[in-house]
Amino acid sequence: MKEKSFLIVVTEKDILKLKVKNINFLFPIKDFSVGFLNTYDIDTITIPNAYLYINRILDNKDIKKLEKILATLKPNIKGICFTDLGIINLAKKLKLSLELIYMQSHNTTNYVSVNYYLDYVDSLLVSTDITENEILSILDHAKKKLVVPYFSLIETMYSRRTLLKNYQKYFALPNKQEETLIEENSKKEFLAIENEYGTVLYAKKFIDYRFIEHENILYYFINPMHLKQKDVKRILEGKEIAVDKDTGFLHQETYYRLKEEEK
Amino acid sequence: MKKVELLAPAGDMEKLKIAYLYGADAVYCAGKSFGLRANAQNFTLEELKQAVKYAHRRHKRLYVTVNILFHEKELENLDAYLKALDKIFVDAIIASDILVIKRAKELGLKLEVHVSTQASILNSEAGLFYKSLGVTRLVLAREASLEDIRKIKEKTHLELECFIHGAMCTSFSGRCIMSNYCTLRDANRGGCAQICRWTFKNKSEKEIFSMTPKDLNLIEYIKELISIGVNSFKVEGRMRGIYYIATVINVYHTILDKISENTLSEGEIKYYLDILNRCANRDSTPQFVNGLPTEEEQYFLGRQELSNQDFLGLVLDYNEKNKMATIEHRNYFKKGDIVEFFGPHLEATTYEIGDIFDEDGHVLTISNHPKKIIKLKIDVKLEKYDMMRIKMFDKQDYL
Repeated sequence: MKEKSFLIVVTEKDILKLKVKNINFLFPIKDFSVGFLNTYDIDTITIPNAYLYINRILDNKDIKKLEKILATLKPNIKGICFTDLGIINLAKKLKLSLELIYMQSHNTTNYVSVNYYLDYVDSLLVSTDITENEILSILDHAKKKLVVPYFSLIETMYSRRTLLKNYQKYFALPNKQEETLIEENSKKEFLAIENEYGTVLYAKKFIDYRFIEHENILYYFINPMHLKQKDVKRILEGKEIAVDKDTGFLHQETYYRLKEEEK
Repeated sequence: MKKVELLAPAGDMEKLKIAYLYGADAVYCAGKSFGLRANAQNFTLEELKQAVKYAHRRHKRLYVTVNILFHEKELENLDAYLKALDKIFVDAIIASDILVIKRAKELGLKLEVHVSTQASILNSEAGLFYKSLGVTRLVLAREASLEDIRKIKEKTHLELECFIHGAMCTSFSGRCIMSNYCTLRDANRGGCAQICRWTFKNKSEKEIFSMTPKDLNLIEYIKELISIGVNSFKVEGRMRGIYYIATVINVYHTILDKISENTLSEGEIKYYLDILNRCANRDSTPQFVNGLPTEEEQYFLGRQELSNQDFLGLVLDYNEKNKMATIEHRNYFKKGDIVEFFGPHLEATTYEIGDIFDEDGHVLTISNHPKKIIKLKIDVKLEKYDMMRIKMFDKQDYL
């Protein structure tokens, strides 16, 4: 088995100090990313082989602004990880030679869809809400190498609404961009992170998919939100860290017809 | 002014017929598989065939949602299903998974492919991407502003469909797995448990709250959307009942007619808005079309449910000779109540309940058994499928 390559979101600058082989850094970009407290001006990214993380759904003004930025990118930018499919068209229009990695974490749920998307991009992130068998089947059948979750909080909602700001205003509370919310029935906890472009809710348990190995993996994806750099280092070394973990949907199939489930 | 399509939801055949009858130009519904309202009754293939015939006989259109995100186990039957929909002359499918869009094209189907709001299209480049896949219509994200809609139309020249009325997701549609995570019910395969409408506690504060958005209502923007070139106005609500569908479609049909005749007044807009809000049990707002929703566009706590007992009866028959209407009872009413009838060809007409008769001609003082058949003597000529509701608003007060 070849050595693993990692794609790690630079949630804080300390992450850049990680000295690990085959590590690639993914920068949430100012005005084009949601779900992160720290974002970066593209001009400040100077490390080689950097990836830009553009995970917002973009409106027309954004896409126009992005077009200008992409047209003058520096050569240290290796690729773009993105959510909005408009970026495929934009990249084609600008004849960009960057790697395009599609990262919409909920709609790459089967290998046929994955292969259709791969006609337009270099790789993509496999969905975070499917079972281990489904992930493996996608990896078996994908015509290009893929990105798979490794150790992360998983995104459970992305809203254009400023849910925290609205809530804080309604209850006359101080403004915070990060809150932990507990759903009263299930007692499940969510980390809400907000900026002016919307709110992202993460399930507040880390998924640990480190055991997944496959030859068709381009990168193992890590969103180290709420992790210290030393914890990330331990994760990369295959060691345990003291955080709440979960196997996510790996062994739990979701269903959608109530009657079927009741049978 | 160019004719714009009014597109209604239908969870079953009765709702579909009501939607067309009350003025929908097209209806969207789902088969038993692959639609995002898995727990609506939905349609068998045979029912879809009948629905298409019913629609086409009336020069109307029928769209079928095939808008789940597919997991591997659902792949097997997709091609056969798409071919079957094509064979029965469904006008279009509404899809969000790239797989469905591509397969429909590869199979050489005649039906149109519309890309669902689940694809969250907010910009023209995304629209052009889908255009390159062969879709003919974009159902835009409900987060689109007027400016976004305008730009997308200008750049893509595709047909645009916009939601103008109904419930909203808290998240971008298709970008939420709260239901999956809390209940294992898959939101993107039709099982959404609407967790955003449940209650949450902030760990660092004592307040309990929900994230429930108020409904969408673009009644005041219809003219502008028409001038931008929007082709289809869509109403949300495949789980809603016939009264809701009749009321909402009737209102929008009337408004579209009045706009085309240039006779819609501000007062009428306010009147229709009150009717719509009453019918939905929720307040409605323009949401994203004119800016970002604030705390005013959301319910946080203890939402006050308005009465939903307004629907009193469905007209089954009217005998012009003796002026007796046969009515299927829905909610309590009694002699002396002030109600109103409305229908596809009947503007809201006030009526004071007189004697109520059962099927055998016995006089009743009240009507309180759902689905019971009763008779009322009414001078106004009624038609089958007209409806009787509590009179809440008088149009004259708004003019």
